Amino acid sequence: MTDTDPLVRFDGVRKSYGDFEAVKGIDLTIGRGEFVAIMGPSGCGKTTTLRMLAGLEAPSAGDITIGGKRMNDVPPHERDTPLVWQSLALFPFLNVKENVEFGLKMRGVSDTEAHGRAMLWLERMGLKGFEKRRVDELSGGQRQRVALARSLVTEPQMLLLDEPLSALDAHLVIRMQGVLTRLQRELGITFVYVTHSQSEAFAMADRVVIMGQGEIAQVGAPRDIFRAPRTRFVAEFVGRNNILPGAGGGEISVAADRMTVSDVAPGGTAIEAAFLSEEFAGTGIICYFEDASGRELKAQVSEAELERLSLEPGAKVWLSWPDEAAHPLEPKSIDE
Amino acid sequence: MKDRTTAHALIWRLPLLIWQGLFFVGPLLLMVAMSFWLVKNYRMTPDFIFDNWERMLTRGYFWDAYRVTLWRATLAAVLASLIAFPASFALAFKLSETARRWALFFLVVPFFTSYLVRVYAWQVLLAESGPINAVLGWVGLGPFTMLNSGVGAMVGYLTLVLPLVVILQTFSLAAIDRNLIEAAWNLGASPRRTLLRVILPSAKVGLIVGAVFAFILAFGDFVSPFYLGGSKPPTLSILIIDTTKSGQQWPRAAVVAVMMIGTLFAVAFAAVGAAYGRRK
Repeated sequence: MTDTDPLVRFDGVRKSYGDFEAVKGIDLTIGRGEFVAIMGPSGCGKTTTLRMLAGLEAPSAGDITIGGKRMNDVPPHERDTPLVWQSLALFPFLNVKENVEFGLKMRGVSDTEAHGRAMLWLERMGLKGFEKRRVDELSGGQRQRVALARSLVTEPQMLLLDEPLSALDAHLVIRMQGVLTRLQRELGITFVYVTHSQSEAFAMADRVVIMGQGEIAQVGAPRDIFRAPRTRFVAEFVGRNNILPGAGGGEISVAADRMTVSDVAPGGTAIEAAFLSEEFAGTGIICYFEDASGRELKAQVSEAELERLSLEPGAKVWLSWPDEAAHPLEPKSIDE
Repeated sequence: MKDRTTAHALIWRLPLLIWQGLFFVGPLLLMVAMSFWLVKNYRMTPDFIFDNWERMLTRGYFWDAYRVTLWRATLAAVLASLIAFPASFALAFKLSETARRWALFFLVVPFFTSYLVRVYAWQVLLAESGPINAVLGWVGLGPFTMLNSGVGAMVGYLTLVLPLVVILQTFSLAAIDRNLIEAAWNLGASPRRTLLRVILPSAKVGLIVGAVFAFILAFGDFVSPFYLGGSKPPTLSILIIDTTKSGQQWPRAAVVAVMMIGTLFAVAFAAVGAAYGRRK
């Protein structure tokens, strides 16, 4: 086996609970040192997929291989797949250092070595001096870092994360995203990150897997998914996409930042729409419009442009886009 | 404003304070006082003499009874906790929510019948010619003397405490965050080590409270040692009965009772310390 072989391979993996199929046969490979985000609405099967990778759920059909070895029947404690829980699941009856040492001691590392390695990781995560604290005496961000140290101290080849930032304040989320991407690059290990948040997935991941209703809807680099969503489901889920009728009868998607807003009818393809509202986003202002058929449209404009247009609610404008910004969507939608 | 809030709080607490005063603190003080009273011509007179204390605490039979009671209560607490744990574990982790609710309901049912009635039932079952010895006889064992022995008394204690211990253990086990168990498993702990390193520490309070309840109930129980244990060797509760019957020696019985309450307080405080105490 070489380093270029994928670390993880899902082959037709299914998981059903009675009549309910949570995961409907997925094929996916994850490379070594890759940061993969699995994203989708709640109930799409993303957490079940992650839990199957950790061995906490057994696939109903198909194979999961890690490092070339079939893992279907390997129990969690014999795998090297530490998981960071949404609730963090720190042990409240152990102090910070004992939490970090737990995985080492379970793997038979001596007390002195476990102590040394735990202290190194606590220092690395900026938790020096906190080793004797109880976990409930720490802030949310500190607990997060304890959870990361506890999972990474055993030097795994892969870290699984299940919506670890969803309980944090917005400003902490941005900071932790920085911590996570830096860690992943420094360690060079695989991160599999499950989230429902597009901004988290797109900000950190090398590759995003979009799931819907137990199936993989699209896999690709964040930019490719954003620019060229394959189906209507992906276009809608990713947001800031306009779904419009295409020339050939199908549907196309146009990203909001490729839309031009003008108060006079431009030449070429354009839609007349009424202004609804505006929303300040990090990179510009998203304006919402509604066309004659009631379809909602979005366009990203700069502050100067918004001032020039001086839009009143209900004002009629024209929305147009360059031809190369239009991406045809596959006719079959995932939620059919 | 603040005075009103305090007054308000006091009024709401009043029923509990009155209850505690009338039925706990009052009788306790009376009993402590009574242990210093004098008995003359089968009549008690309030006094302040140390004769009762001296008489009881220097006698071997008191300390024999104390040791028997302490040992039996400890054994009952340990046995009840050990026997209950597998059942509680199954109830907490293997059953569905609905099944668990039904199981807990059936654990409450024994409390519907008097403890005395259940002990009488054991008298029949454990007798030399009873059904248990009959069954053992068919396979060529026995007959065993179970009645009027420590074994009989222990069966009675467990009848009294086992359902309660199972209920307390089940609640504390079912309340454990499942993520903690999965996290231990995920971090390389085998199921056995997960039990020892995560489940037991997480359920510690409930397990200790269950054992303490078993200890307290068995320590003060008089029905089982009397009807199933044959009063020999006497426990402290039986000593109290014997003392009151012989020459109206209520003050000496009060000495025994005060010693029992003191022991229970010490055990309860030690247990609370162990359950909630901070580790170093």
